Amino acid sequence: MGSLFRSEEMTLAQLFLQSETAYVCVSELGELGVVQFRDLNPDVNAFQRKFVNEVRRCEEMERKLRFIEKEIKKDGIPMLDTGDNPDAPAPREMIDLEATFERLENEMKEVNTNAEALKRNFLELTELKHILRKTQVFFDEAAFLQSAQMHDQPRQDEAQTLLGEEVSQAGIPALKLGFVAGVILRERIPAFERLLWRACRGNVFLKFAEIETPLEDPVTGDQVNKCVFIIFFQGEQLKTRVKKICEGFRATLYPCPETPAERREMAIGVMTRIEDLNTVLGQTQDHRHRVLVAAAKNIKVWFIKVQKIKAIYHTLNFCNLDVTQKCLIAECWCPISELEKIQLALRRGTERSGAAVPSILNRMSTKESPPTFNRTNKFTAAFQALVDSYGVASYREVNPAPFAIISFPFIFAVMFGDAGHGIVMALFGLWMVIKEKSLIAQKSTNEIWNTFFGGRYIILLMGLFSIYTGLIYNDFYSKSVNIFGSAWQSNYTLEDIEAHKVLQLCPNRINCTNLAKEPIHMDYRGYPYPFGMDPIWAISVNRITYTNSYKMKMSIIIGVAQMLFGVMLSIWNHRYFKEPLNIIAEFIPEMIFLNSIFGYLCVLCIYKWSVWPGDDAACAPSILLGLINMFLFKYEDYDDENIVCNQKTMFRSQQALQTLLVILAVLSAMVLLLVKPLYLRREHNKKLAIRSIADAVESAPEVTGEDVQIHDAQSRSSADPSPSGHGMDGEEFDFGDLFVYQCIHTIEFCLGCISHTASYLRLWALSLAHGQLSEVLWTMVLHMGFIFDSYAGAFVLFAVFAAWAMLTIGILLVMEGLSAFLHTLRLHWVEFQSKFYHGSGYAFLPFSFEVILDQAQASDHEVH
Amino acid sequence: MTGLSELYFNIDSGYLEGLVRGFKGGILKQNDYLNLVQCETLDDLKLHLQSTDYGNFLANEPSPLTVSVIDDKLKEKLVVEFQHIRNHAVEPLSTFLDYITYSYMIDNIILLITGTLHSRPITELIPKCHPLGSFEEMEAIHIAGTPAELYNAVLVDTPLAPFFVDCISEQDLDEMNIEIIRNTLYKAYLEDFHVYCSELGGATAEVMCEILAFEADRRAFIITINSFGTELTKDDRAKLYPRCGKLHPDGLAALARADEYEQVRAVAEFYAEYKQLFDGAGNNPGDKTLEDKFFEHEVKLNVNAFMQQFHFGVFYSYVKLKEQEVRNIVWIAECVAQRHRAKIDSYIPIL
Repeated sequence: MGSLFRSEEMTLAQLFLQSETAYVCVSELGELGVVQFRDLNPDVNAFQRKFVNEVRRCEEMERKLRFIEKEIKKDGIPMLDTGDNPDAPAPREMIDLEATFERLENEMKEVNTNAEALKRNFLELTELKHILRKTQVFFDEAAFLQSAQMHDQPRQDEAQTLLGEEVSQAGIPALKLGFVAGVILRERIPAFERLLWRACRGNVFLKFAEIETPLEDPVTGDQVNKCVFIIFFQGEQLKTRVKKICEGFRATLYPCPETPAERREMAIGVMTRIEDLNTVLGQTQDHRHRVLVAAAKNIKVWFIKVQKIKAIYHTLNFCNLDVTQKCLIAECWCPISELEKIQLALRRGTERSGAAVPSILNRMSTKESPPTFNRTNKFTAAFQALVDSYGVASYREVNPAPFAIISFPFIFAVMFGDAGHGIVMALFGLWMVIKEKSLIAQKSTNEIWNTFFGGRYIILLMGLFSIYTGLIYNDFYSKSVNIFGSAWQSNYTLEDIEAHKVLQLCPNRINCTNLAKEPIHMDYRGYPYPFGMDPIWAISVNRITYTNSYKMKMSIIIGVAQMLFGVMLSIWNHRYFKEPLNIIAEFIPEMIFLNSIFGYLCVLCIYKWSVWPGDDAACAPSILLGLINMFLFKYEDYDDENIVCNQKTMFRSQQALQTLLVILAVLSAMVLLLVKPLYLRREHNKKLAIRSIADAVESAPEVTGEDVQIHDAQSRSSADPSPSGHGMDGEEFDFGDLFVYQCIHTIEFCLGCISHTASYLRLWALSLAHGQLSEVLWTMVLHMGFIFDSYAGAFVLFAVFAAWAMLTIGILLVMEGLSAFLHTLRLHWVEFQSKFYHGSGYAFLPFSFEVILDQAQASDHEVH
Repeated sequence: MTGLSELYFNIDSGYLEGLVRGFKGGILKQNDYLNLVQCETLDDLKLHLQSTDYGNFLANEPSPLTVSVIDDKLKEKLVVEFQHIRNHAVEPLSTFLDYITYSYMIDNIILLITGTLHSRPITELIPKCHPLGSFEEMEAIHIAGTPAELYNAVLVDTPLAPFFVDCISEQDLDEMNIEIIRNTLYKAYLEDFHVYCSELGGATAEVMCEILAFEADRRAFIITINSFGTELTKDDRAKLYPRCGKLHPDGLAALARADEYEQVRAVAEFYAEYKQLFDGAGNNPGDKTLEDKFFEHEVKLNVNAFMQQFHFGVFYSYVKLKEQEVRNIVWIAECVAQRHRAKIDSYIPIL
């Protein structure tokens, strides 16, 4: 039995780790990745565990690393990812690491504060520069306006209204305006203006101009758009008020000299200071860059190291201390086949830590059900995932995944039968498989892509099988391909063909006539088309009727075969778990029931195909009616001449056989329902009788009944260490529960057989839908490109083909493909697996650095 | 919306309701609190919160944690969630969510005015404001010297303007008037919100009116009790009672006449649910204060809001529950930080 067929054999083991070697040993086991540690103190809080301080230190280190990483990313320095995987550092190295990170962080922080101060300075100076430049424009305008007012008296009122009533009444000579100038965020301008107007009752004059280049915010480093503004007002009271508002809106105010000459002087001063500052800033940036480049080289390795340390301490937190405080006790699940490797790893760990006392691995027996561990490779992993997403197999149960490798793509292809579409799909799958390595290296985070990529082998197989079924259906982008030459010929004359829209080809071997009722040679060549559907059907009007009948029967046969296979797999479970009763009371009646109704139905289908040739096809009886009549016990006499031939039974002794089969089915259902609970009850009663006798013999007056039971249960459990045994041993026996359970099982199975068989008709339905849809695409879209006779048709075809190709990929391949995939999944989960699969286990989650690092990376991607 | 609002609810708000119910699932359970109160240091607290829905919200904070950092981060998380919901909301839910923020805006305004009164710089006050209630003009509040100015210059553009109309008459901004402004604002806000919820109808009205009625009554009680021994006249006091609670009108009239705690208690006797609260409350050590009793009742109402589907009450309740949770965690953190464990258990469990 390969490891795929059943999950790996597991054992519970106890590890005695000396305190000084524990860290190194766990680290070795983490590299190995085949051990699942159990939490031995589940009710201890996270912060009350033994190694919580170490975990906390690791988190602190991670925080520092994240901080440095953020800085590195801010500067756009590429981080070196060599893909190498350093070992977990020794505990004493942790202090070095901590010191390194501490130093780096402090250095970074210092550089940042310096840079921030410098940048703030720089920002202020730049803003001042802009203010001086822009206000110059304002003042120039004002001067121009004033001079214009001098010459143009009538305009005075218009210009003055802005400054409010009192001012205009006071007249120009008394006008002594104060002003403040500053810079404000651009998006705050409207609210700022409104509030100024309201708070000062319109007695201020605000003018603003945009600074074209965005400025850098020194704290966040974002680029922000700002505006220069200047506010004119009159009087001290307004001044304080304006200043308060500016403060409220976080506008920065700058002193702005009143005369142009002073302004110019100041501007020059500012420019030189900006120049100076630029040099200093450049040096600071260089320093920062150097520090970060050095850190960027190591940061990935550091991350891995810290994550490993953290994982180790997490695991050590699962352990118990023994009484002497000298060693840690861990419990873990591990596959039996890996025990050697684990021992080796432990020995390596002991050597590395230089301890005298080796770590000990001790196998334990347990009644607990071990985790399910199915070894997979990149090919089987996807199929195993399909099975696991329904439910992880119970421990050592038959695993349906290896069968799904073939049956899954095949059943998919039955629904997706089109060789053309299959080729596209197979090529897509093949591309992913060939480019596997480089595609993995890209580490895409696109969920949809990852889903497709994860199923690349499924897609490839589904494509290949679709090509096969497409050839069987003779569908190639909904057209038939005539490879071997049709098995049919036409004996009609040209005139007949031109005169009639529809003509029938004669399927008979004898008595064929043409339209004039003259006997002719038969239209059928006498041998069938060698592979798949005859292409002649593509042009026939009753093609759908024909394929429907064929696909329907085929679906039933495939379905019953798969269900039968499922029931047969259950025998491996029964035998493995040593449940002979289940074989007799469940497997055999189930087989009989399924075979006597649906197995027989399949036989009838094949019989009908093979016995009625073209000559008396009209006499072929309906299978559906036959099945109904089988249960109604309604039969017409086989030899009665007066009955229409297609109402007769198929063969002579059909009545007797069918009656027998129905009786067998009913009987097996009864067996399925009754035998198991009744048998178990009898066994239980027998045991009770024996025990009561034993009690009577043993019982001493001081021992109560309860004590005896406990003692009894213990002695029996020690006598029978096998984990499953007979399920009822030592447990409460409740006949009612058991009977109800068996009742449900019986009903579920019997009704299930009927509904599941009907369910397999989806194979036909989806295949029909797919075929029709692609035919619609052909006639309604691509066909349009062919109806032009002139050269213009080429261009039309060019455009139409694009549309057709898009629709083919979008609808037929992706949507139809997904739909067929889902139906296949359902057929496997419900119709197939319900026959034998419990799926009530839990997955084996080994402690493995590889997994932990992958997860950390994935969550890292999510955050960014 | 008519009686069939359930039919259309999911079109606009189904996603958000689902989201908020999901968030609600992350609210700390009694078990978590039991673990939290065992913490020795704030780092322990952080470690435990990591295993809850809060996840890594403190992961990037350097080690000596302070309570205020925890408080800020807790609030930040709530605000991020709320903003996410608000950004996805359409009418009428968006208005409803805005209404939730108004109460925080009122608190912020009062905080800023009080701060300015004590001549604290505005930059020091801003970080203390609740982020849910921040608005653009907020920082310019300190220019106002009188309520009228406050209204005309600052608040007239904010959604609070209609609530403020009643306060303009007050002359000066002193402690007393600020309290009156706060309560008048709150009264107007509660009544308006109450009307708005009743107009929405359906389950929203059913749930929200219950909660808001309790909120109104609680304010009425608290105002009355706090007014004893101050210069507030009974007439002025009566004007501050929100009139959308169960106490309206008889209970409020009785409260307006009350002179001492026992009389307030006598009023509460007539209302089954309030009687219980007053009965259980006491000021002795080991007793729960009336305030805590009110909080507990509020939590109960808010939890009950989740019993019904297709209404907006869950959004309100979620914010309030989360706020209570933040109060709880901060309380515990405060107790842990000050090594004052005697009262660590007086948090209010939610679920």
